[in-house]
Amino acid sequence: MGSIFIKFFIMTKKEQLIIINEAIKQTKTNLKPIGYNLIFWSIVVISMSLFHYFFPKIVQYSYYSSTIYWVSIPLIGMVYTTYYNIKTGIKIGYETQLDRVIRIIWGVFGFAWIFTVAISILHNINPVQDILFLLGLVLLMNGLIIKFRNITIGGVGLLIFTIYTYYNPGLNLLLVNVIGISFGMLIPGLSLYLHKKDE
Amino acid sequence: MNKEIEKLLFNPIRLKTISFLMTVETCTFKALLDVTTSSKGNLSIQLKKLNDAGLIKIEKYFQKSYPTTDYSITKKGKTSFEDFFKQLQSLKNE
Repeated sequence: MGSIFIKFFIMTKKEQLIIINEAIKQTKTNLKPIGYNLIFWSIVVISMSLFHYFFPKIVQYSYYSSTIYWVSIPLIGMVYTTYYNIKTGIKIGYETQLDRVIRIIWGVFGFAWIFTVAISILHNINPVQDILFLLGLVLLMNGLIIKFRNITIGGVGLLIFTIYTYYNPGLNLLLVNVIGISFGMLIPGLSLYLHKKDE
Repeated sequence: MNKEIEKLLFNPIRLKTISFLMTVETCTFKALLDVTTSSKGNLSIQLKKLNDAGLIKIEKYFQKSYPTTDYSITKKGKTSFEDFFKQLQSLKNE
């Protein structure tokens, strides 16, 4: 009788372990929204750079117009992506520790972007290389955190490319933007969106 | 380990809830419904019990004029779950 009781008791404990295991398994970090964000920002920056490159007279028609162009559109983009991420978060219904870390990293990048742009306006310098360097670091961190090699390689590639541009001052920074973002963010972003399963 | 807490975690819905909350920062009621596969009424009762025992935190706020509730595990909840889990594992290894 006693052994039957013990067997029943142990089985119940095993069941409890199964319940815990199943509940934990249901938590997944949703990686598709990260891929979507990378694609969105790549398209925005590449389109803006190409438009500026091919139609400089329109973008630079007055002293401040190019600054307004490069500040207002990304700010609208920030509002949109914040809205998208909140909406996606509500739809998913939970936030994992990994989600929180990634959110904080991109939040800090957003703050650093605003700070860099503000400094560049005040000192009349081009912020492209500084922003690309920061972006390379953030992509590298992201790739390592979510364990996605293409993002890590994209981040390292962007860092190397940015360092190369520092030693070659004659390069057109709009084309630098297009090349750097295409290989460092757009292609890795697309591969993340299309291939990586949630973790 | 506290017998009261052990008794609380003996219920599968409460155990599923606590286990899930251990792996997330916050979650909504709907997410907990999906995880526990229980009815709304039953889940509400179990969540209230966990909240009364101080194992989970319930935060109510308005988002775009809609009332929203977020659930998260407390420090006490984490410690209790860890003790409970250790106890389960030691029993399993015996």
